[in-house]
Amino acid sequence: MADPILSLADVTLTLAGNAGPVEILHGITLDVTPGETLGLIGPSGSGKSSLLMLMGGLERASSGRVTALGHDLTAMNEDQLARFRRDHMGVVFQSFHLIPTMTALENVATPLELAGHRDAFDRAAEELRTVGLGARMDHYPNQMSGGEQQRVALARAAAPRPHILLADEPTGNLDGANGAAIMDLLFGLRDRHGATLVLVTHAADLAARCDRVVRLADGRIAGEEARRAAE
Amino acid sequence: MSLPVAIRIARRELRGGLRGFYVFLACLALGVAAIAAVGSVRESIEGGLKREGAVLLGGDAEMSLTYRYAEPEERAWMDATATRVSEIVDFRSMVVVERGAVTERGLTQVKGVDGAYPLYGRVELDPPIPLDEALAGNGAVMERVLADRLGLTPGDDFRLGTAEYRLSAILTREPDGAGDGFGLGPRLLIRTEALEGSGLLAPGTLFETKYRLALPEGADMAALEARADARFADRGMRWRDARNGAPGMTRFVDRMGSFLVLVGLAGLAVGGVGVSAAVRAYLDGKTEVIATLKTLGAEGRTILLAYLIQIGTLAGLGIAVGLVLGALAPILAAPFIQAQLPVPVEVQVHPGPLAEAALYGILTALLFTLWPLARTEEVRAAALFRDVSGRVRVWPRPIYVAATGALAALLIGVAAWFSGVPKLALWSAFGIVAALGLLALAAVGLRRLARRLARARFLRGRTSVRLALGAVGGPAGETTSVVLSLGLGLSILAAIGQIDANLRSAIQQELPERAPSYFVVDIQPEQLDGVLTRLTGDPGVSKVETAPMLRGVITRINGRPAKEVAGDHWVIRGDRGVTYSAAPPEGTIVNAGQWWPEGYDGPPQMSFADEEAEEIGLKLGDEVTVNILGRDITATVTSFRAVDFSTAGIGFVMAMNPAALMGAPHTHIATIYAEPEAEAAILRDLASAYPNITAIRVRDAIDRVAEVLGSLAAAIGYGASATLVTGVIVLIGAAAAGERARIFESAVLKTVGAVRGQVLAYFALRSAMLGAAAGAVAIVAGGVAGWAVMEFVMMGGYEFEPGSAVAIVLGGALATLLAGLAFAWRPLAARPARVLRARE
Repeated sequence: MADPILSLADVTLTLAGNAGPVEILHGITLDVTPGETLGLIGPSGSGKSSLLMLMGGLERASSGRVTALGHDLTAMNEDQLARFRRDHMGVVFQSFHLIPTMTALENVATPLELAGHRDAFDRAAEELRTVGLGARMDHYPNQMSGGEQQRVALARAAAPRPHILLADEPTGNLDGANGAAIMDLLFGLRDRHGATLVLVTHAADLAARCDRVVRLADGRIAGEEARRAAE
Repeated sequence: MSLPVAIRIARRELRGGLRGFYVFLACLALGVAAIAAVGSVRESIEGGLKREGAVLLGGDAEMSLTYRYAEPEERAWMDATATRVSEIVDFRSMVVVERGAVTERGLTQVKGVDGAYPLYGRVELDPPIPLDEALAGNGAVMERVLADRLGLTPGDDFRLGTAEYRLSAILTREPDGAGDGFGLGPRLLIRTEALEGSGLLAPGTLFETKYRLALPEGADMAALEARADARFADRGMRWRDARNGAPGMTRFVDRMGSFLVLVGLAGLAVGGVGVSAAVRAYLDGKTEVIATLKTLGAEGRTILLAYLIQIGTLAGLGIAVGLVLGALAPILAAPFIQAQLPVPVEVQVHPGPLAEAALYGILTALLFTLWPLARTEEVRAAALFRDVSGRVRVWPRPIYVAATGALAALLIGVAAWFSGVPKLALWSAFGIVAALGLLALAAVGLRRLARRLARARFLRGRTSVRLALGAVGGPAGETTSVVLSLGLGLSILAAIGQIDANLRSAIQQELPERAPSYFVVDIQPEQLDGVLTRLTGDPGVSKVETAPMLRGVITRINGRPAKEVAGDHWVIRGDRGVTYSAAPPEGTIVNAGQWWPEGYDGPPQMSFADEEAEEIGLKLGDEVTVNILGRDITATVTSFRAVDFSTAGIGFVMAMNPAALMGAPHTHIATIYAEPEAEAAILRDLASAYPNITAIRVRDAIDRVAEVLGSLAAAIGYGASATLVTGVIVLIGAAAAGERARIFESAVLKTVGAVRGQVLAYFALRSAMLGAAAGAVAIVAGGVAGWAVMEFVMMGGYEFEPGSAVAIVLGGALATLLAGLAFAWRPLAARPARVLRARE
């Protein structure tokens, strides 16, 4: 078996709450292999999204170790984490999180620019065409529907060709048809670029498309099952 | 529409407290406070002037004459009317101090007084001896500045004209000093009878006599004035009384107050931009509530009314805070104000100016909130289900546009009415509206340019710059409100900077280049040849101009009292110089009519200064009656000529044919244009040979004027700084309001790989761009305003002054940069996961 591309070793996450510290994740140990599609499922508040955020270095583990591509994310400072994401990761959120003052094209080009790609805008345009938004490049987020915004977000995550794609309930804010289209795009992008995909979802049909599904409950791994063999 | 329901909704919405309204409150409170404070200070000074009117004037009433003492008949009338009468002689002269070979000279304003002086108030001296003792024999007192300049201490001797006097004390307080108006030289007090041997009050010499009257209790001033005017106005006698003891000062305070209120209104306009932005932001956050209310059946008007009541309540609070601050500030600053002013100040709460400020506050709040409030009608219930905010129309319904226009007109009208200088108020309002228009256009232009540049190929890869440009050009940015509010504040400062710099340059640099070195008065006719011989033989003298000079009061125009025809025009306000000349003096430009023929000795003819003639409505053929030395001379206006008063050369409003005036005792004046190094010797020679004449060094006079101008600019600068402070509050408000959006942007940017340096650079660039743009527009707006004021009000030339302009742009950029950076730390420190998940 290949070395894991993402690895969590006895990771805990404790956040300060109004009534004192709240332990969100308890001793999570989990490996993700390169090219794998991993689904994280579980009831609301089970810690799925927090786990995904730890994987992306967007949240810091209270204890334990998170490594990605052999790098210890827990030892990196904010800027090192940002650079690591820039070079290796793409993140998609439930609420899209596009920058409202930027057009679709500018939103997608930003991570490419940050990575120093001279052809950032050409690649961003290409990516937008891939997600079917070739005609909406100059539109601002508030001029687009939710489905369109999520497509821009997908294009933004995929454009730098990341090794790891993290998606946090990417269809949670979309209706059935739009949600299905987004998932097709997401899996299509993953297939085309060969990235590792970690997906948080509530939807059973989405989970069914993953190679492996990890079920979380109360901040712990409550079960795991392989759906498809990793390619 | 249901008012009770609207009130209930408003009351419930107000439970949210003041959150989100601090900038709104600060803008209104500051603007209202500034106007209330200025108005209160003006009222305090005017109250003091009124209360102390008799002391400032030196009597309950004053009758003054030029060139002569009162005739026995006139004096008898005064003695019969008043319980006591004091006679004052006022003129300019030179104090001469000889110490061996060294002779020092200083210009002074001499006041010859009698034993009754002062009728009211007290003269204070150092050492504190009684005035009678100080002025006994040939004793005199003078202001410290003059004594210091000449190195005199009490007990020293000096000369005035041809007589010797002794300085017995320093004059520290002259009760009627502020009422005398602007003097070029420091004051010297002396007994009038002691002047007899000085040769200074020869016929034709420029002097003024003032008769101060102490009137019986309850005397009817208006009736007395009418009686005095009816009997003596035609003899050149002028009446003033304690109802307005220091008219020059009152006029100055009034004008200055009006002007500062207008500057305050500009501040309120700047605040209005902040008020508008705050209401807009608040209502944007209320979209869901409004949509819900509509779903539940609320009419658009009910909702509008509910928010109008809510915003109105908050505006009332802001105005109330402003009024309290505006009323308290002058009281707290009373010791400082009293120390700065030569007049008594009656500091207390004045309801009038507070009411005026409150009215401005209400109108401004309405004007700037109606538009965003009207948008509540546009919110549809569908907003609950999908985002329709992008589809709201820019223009509200026509009725609101019309109401906004009407409110603006009302505000401008009220300002014009209250200021007492409607023309200035209207021009200022026009300036503010034009500047706002220009700034709004600039904001649109800036956004478009930024949007275009953000997509420019050459900026690709410069992420921070492109991000900043994208934010400036983007839809939900603070570009418009920052450019409008900060830009307007900076525009006013830029205009003041340009006007101040131009005036200073005109007075301190250009004027001395063209102006004469000395202005010599009181040259007796028999001394004229000697003076000219001395001067024309001096190689240091480049030019000498002389003219006979008399002074007279215009009493009638075409047989009607001059005041009725020309109102309060300066030409008829006091006595004016009159000259005579057989032929047009060299350089005279006669614009209309004809100069009298050589040797003309028919009925008197007059040539009048063209601009002044136009201002008071004179036409060729009109008859002007001038009282000179108590004698009326009526002349027909036969020509108009251009007179340039700005060169400080010889300029007379009125010139007459020689036969009309030659019989009257008179003196000559001269202007001497000389090399600076020759000036001292000229003064020494002339003053030694002709002790009675007075030479005024023009450069000293210019310095005095520049000094006064400096204080004016400082006062206006203080007023304008209130405007800028409001602008900065709006700026801070915009930065604070944008903090949430920036925290989000920072989180997203970090997620896609931006390091903190890049995010900070983006924030800093974005702020600086907005500030620099506001500053750049301010330079254009301020430059245009400066040009207009210099060209049309000051009638002078205008030259762009780059120093203050650069400071304005840098200041604007720095202010926004600092405000932006102050609100950048939280976005930079925020953890992306927390921020982004909180918005899920």
